[in-house]
Amino acid sequence: MSHEMIAILMFSTMLVMMMTGQRVFGVIGFVAVVAALWLWGTGGEGLAFGAAMKLMKWYPLLTLPMFVFMGYVMSESRLADDLYRMFHVWFGPVPGGLAIGTILLMVLISAMNGLSVAGMAIGATIALPELLRRNYDKQMVTGVIQAGSSLGILIPPSVVLVLYAMIARAPVGQLWLAGAIPGLMMAAMFVIYIWARCGLQPHLGPVLPEEERAEIDFRHKVRLLGAGLLPLTIFLTMMVPFVNGWTSLVESSVVGALVTVGAAVWKRRFTREVFETATRNTLAISCMFMWIILAALTFGAVFDGLGAVRAIEGLFVDRLALSAWEILILMQLSYLVMGMFLDDTAMLVIVAPLYVPLVATLDLGLPRDQVLIWYGVLYTITCQIAYLTPPFGYNLFLMRAMTPPEIRLRDIYLSAFPFVGVMILALILLMAFPGIALWLPETVYGR
Amino acid sequence: MPRWAIAYVRVVDGLNRRVGRFAMYLLFVLMGILLWSSATKIGSDLGLPVNPSLWTLEMAQFVMVAYYILGGPYSMQIGSHVRMDLLYGDWSPARKAWFDAFTIVLVLVFLSVLVYGAIDSTAYSIQYNERNPSAWRPYLWPIKVVMCAGFLLMLLQSVSLFLRDIAAIRGVEI
Repeated sequence: MSHEMIAILMFSTMLVMMMTGQRVFGVIGFVAVVAALWLWGTGGEGLAFGAAMKLMKWYPLLTLPMFVFMGYVMSESRLADDLYRMFHVWFGPVPGGLAIGTILLMVLISAMNGLSVAGMAIGATIALPELLRRNYDKQMVTGVIQAGSSLGILIPPSVVLVLYAMIARAPVGQLWLAGAIPGLMMAAMFVIYIWARCGLQPHLGPVLPEEERAEIDFRHKVRLLGAGLLPLTIFLTMMVPFVNGWTSLVESSVVGALVTVGAAVWKRRFTREVFETATRNTLAISCMFMWIILAALTFGAVFDGLGAVRAIEGLFVDRLALSAWEILILMQLSYLVMGMFLDDTAMLVIVAPLYVPLVATLDLGLPRDQVLIWYGVLYTITCQIAYLTPPFGYNLFLMRAMTPPEIRLRDIYLSAFPFVGVMILALILLMAFPGIALWLPETVYGR
Repeated sequence: MPRWAIAYVRVVDGLNRRVGRFAMYLLFVLMGILLWSSATKIGSDLGLPVNPSLWTLEMAQFVMVAYYILGGPYSMQIGSHVRMDLLYGDWSPARKAWFDAFTIVLVLVFLSVLVYGAIDSTAYSIQYNERNPSAWRPYLWPIKVVMCAGFLLMLLQSVSLFLRDIAAIRGVEI
């Protein structure tokens, strides 16, 4: 059997077995170890443990539990309540204003946290019930929360970009900065979409009633702006020491987590219960991700042994004779399709090592070191889309666990589509104008 | 269900719960190590009589590995490992149990190979006193022993989940 056939067989077996609903890490790990034993006999049994040792050396992944912990402390101690209230009051008079406020809330949370879990949890506990109570359309609400929370992996800090940096051997600092402007651009596009859609169809997102707006005087409004100090403080205490090189990436995430705990203590909301839930959920979520990454690294090691990188390069460059841009577009499309059905983190770990070396050799009119930074941002947006597209996506999965029963699975699935459209538009813009991503890191690090 | 099965599930679940609860708090050990690391680094930059620690980076890696490997069984127990639930999500509990009872074999095979490789590698580390090639040069066998133990506990937990599924099919609960 040719190596390409083995690779295709491994992918399709994985896909079929996933459908049985067994735990994702088990399915991926099983396919990997069986393939290794079958291909290399007794030489293949150490492969899985080798992956565990490799994972140990992925030092920057230590940021993962820190960000998860920070996210849970924030949502459990309801630190974002005041923030939500601020946006609520300021954006109430605009069509779809509360949805727009939710997106902006997500932007702030994304600037404090590197995962989409935090935004998801806060969105589902604070924004969701409030928006439903005010007769916002169900699909609009779930779409806003899913799309908004996915910004968490694009706006710095970002754990997905950390993972990418490990794989592409690119500097994390530059990648994070590269994600900032595209992240804000995407948020702006979401806002425009919501504003336009609710302007045309006011029943989707009704304006806050006049009497309710009159209750809040201007001074109160200004005082509410103070809530914005918290995310600003957390963001700055993390990013300033990191960009200046005073603390390492991982150490910065610890500082961020501790400042969040400090804020919760200061507001007298850091109860024993908050501590217990946050600590336990951090273990649960971190273990879920780490075991999937472990299994995916094993899978990737088999691909490595098969020489899959060269096979893909041979297929795209020699056999199909595609141009650099065609290859890039094809890679994004294939990733989007795989992201629908397979686990998104596993895809990142398995597919990125195959694509990154190829991207580095493509002539797209950018310097070699910048291509990988730019591609990291493209990759992250593709990953965001994969989080949202059914049938498999973390945001769909988490959303289902967190929403009240009146929101049906159908609503959750359908709600994602307009936002996926906006994200694809952002992806195209970024491909056409790489400067959107590259300008900031160049300005900061280029001197 | 036979008495031994019930006893097995009780013992293994209880053990993994305790180990998992212990691992849960390693998060704060991790924070402490990393804070110490940046404190000594900043201290020496400012000219204070401290040297930047050599051991923190590797120690943090070891603690992280212990965190997720020892915490794995407990997190499986509380059901936080993600599944592809396109079909699975809509099934009845009985049907879920039937499928799980068969597909748990996937998890068992993966974990068995992991344990096998881990024991092999640990034996090598102990025999040759393997050290990490770095400035601190820590021995590698202690962390490998922890990894072996964690993978083994994960295996035990999977068997426990299998027994629970069998019980669910029979209509009883353990």
